[in-house]
Amino acid sequence: MTDKLKLYGKEFDSRLLVGTALYPSPAVMRESVSASGSQIITLSLRRQNPEQQQGKMIWDYIQESGCQLLPNTAGCKTPKEVIALAEMSREIFATDWLKLEVIGDDYNLQPDPYGLIEAARELVKRGFKVLPYCTDDLVVCRKLLDVGCEVLMPWGSPIGTGRGLMNKYNLQTLRERLPDTPLIIDAGIGAPSQAGEAMEMGFDAVLLNTAIAKAQNPVLMAQAFKLAIESGRAARNAGLMLKRQTASPSTPTLDMPFWQQTVTAGENA
Amino acid sequence: MPQLPVRKEVVAHAELNIAIAGAGLMGRLLAWRLSTEGYRVSLFDAGSLDKPSGACHTAAGMISPLSELFHCPLPIYELGMHSLQHWPHWVAQLEQEVGVSVDYRQSGSVLVAHPQDRSELLQFQQELTSKLGGAGGDQLRWLDSRGLSALEPELDRFEQGLFLASEADVDNRKLLPALLQAVMQNGVRLHDHTAVECAPNEVHMARGSEAFDLVIDARGLGANGAIQGLRGVRGEVMVVETPEVKLQRPVRLLHPRYQLYVVPRANNQTVIGATEIESEDMSPISLRSSMELSSALYSIHPAFAEARVIETRVNCRPATMDNLPFVESESGLIRVNGLFRHGYLLAPALALQVEDALSKLTQETEQVT
Repeated sequence: MTDKLKLYGKEFDSRLLVGTALYPSPAVMRESVSASGSQIITLSLRRQNPEQQQGKMIWDYIQESGCQLLPNTAGCKTPKEVIALAEMSREIFATDWLKLEVIGDDYNLQPDPYGLIEAARELVKRGFKVLPYCTDDLVVCRKLLDVGCEVLMPWGSPIGTGRGLMNKYNLQTLRERLPDTPLIIDAGIGAPSQAGEAMEMGFDAVLLNTAIAKAQNPVLMAQAFKLAIESGRAARNAGLMLKRQTASPSTPTLDMPFWQQTVTAGENA
Repeated sequence: MPQLPVRKEVVAHAELNIAIAGAGLMGRLLAWRLSTEGYRVSLFDAGSLDKPSGACHTAAGMISPLSELFHCPLPIYELGMHSLQHWPHWVAQLEQEVGVSVDYRQSGSVLVAHPQDRSELLQFQQELTSKLGGAGGDQLRWLDSRGLSALEPELDRFEQGLFLASEADVDNRKLLPALLQAVMQNGVRLHDHTAVECAPNEVHMARGSEAFDLVIDARGLGANGAIQGLRGVRGEVMVVETPEVKLQRPVRLLHPRYQLYVVPRANNQTVIGATEIESEDMSPISLRSSMELSSALYSIHPAFAEARVIETRVNCRPATMDNLPFVESESGLIRVNGLFRHGYLLAPALALQVEDALSKLTQETEQVT
């Protein structure tokens, strides 16, 4: 079956994108990435004084995973910072893929929608393949598409909270109104069941870090997320049944005449 | 599982000539232990001995196996508990030899969190219990605001906290000179400003090579080129001074993204650290890091606002890719490295492993000759 994730003209089998921060060690990080089956991994440069190349050892170690690298602009608060860092990442990692983050609030790391659109417009002009981390606001998402983003990454809930899909109404709206845009749920996913739910709702992929990196056994948790996302995607493709008000036995109950069932259902409705 | 060797009684080893490369904590501790046991020891360092350039000088000197277990693998805890058994009598012996206190304090540590991060305390307890079973739970005590105030009156703005009674700390800025003085008293040959490369039975310097019966490479990040996969992880620390806040013991502030500690020192000084950044960047502290550290300090007690910043420290910790330390020996050469953010926690246990490797090598040599 060819059910590939298509982003900016590239195809991927895995629908799980993972981060590289907060792991107990680089070795555990790499083992977890491998267990997750991820083909796209994101990494941050902002605090590592990248001009001096002093984080090179750990970058090389991450690059050895063979995954598509998705450098991010975590920690940036203005489009100017973002653009400088993006250019530097493109040079260091030889990729024009970029997870765009413009942070509007320091505590919950909420994206700044205004800065996001401004930065995205400039980055697209400069030839970047931009994957913006955004809120679940339809209008913001549309504007990001207008300035040339081909993929959107709305949050499930704020980074690191593990609260899952907080505003399902908004997320459902995004999915329905932007049926042809690859939508990746980024941030806030705490449990495999939440990732599975996002896939069942029809999102194209899930990006997460903390839930795996900070698990007591990150490698096992990476595997759990891999399974949940595969399962959620399969369920979406298979077509989920609709919820019903009353129990409906899969085999006929002989001792209950059918008109009685109808009456009961009608009374409840 | 790390090997925890049993010490054997050692007699005189006057005939054995040992070079130790690196006069950081590990090198000094080994030089002191081995010279006390009667070995002829030479200690080399690329920098100055009065002002060590390594991570040991930057650190806050915490010996906290339980707190560190939160995000670290089990061997760190096990080695740390082993060290904790030895620190008290090693310190007592050292203080007696040099006649100076190094402010070793085993009065536990307190963990607190901001109200919005309170789930971190629960997460800490869960992780401890899951890694250590029931034994983990026994080692921590929940404190309500009254319990906290009784233990640390300055922490009265926190509603709850955890107390880890067995943890300790030592003033590294007193311990390092004390160890140096002790090794000088023991007649150790000191070579400062002497960068070396280590080979079996040989130390290479700019001015030529010198032969030894055994070389111990304890250079930390100085061994960068010699040990594959050794990397530096940047850490930033601030030291402030105020007579207004009197803490009795190390306090950790749990936070979803940072691991912050506050360690009270003599002379109204407080050490606050530390960032952990994946880069071998030795440039001065960044404004962001200093803001993170100072706001953490301020949130522990607002009177810290008027404290004076008397020092900022930056260094890189030597770490392996699995963030675990190692002791590796071959004929004529022992390497010990990768102490990462746990220098004072791990050093005694690793020194004992080195001593064990040394006695094995000596036995092999005796059998050959």
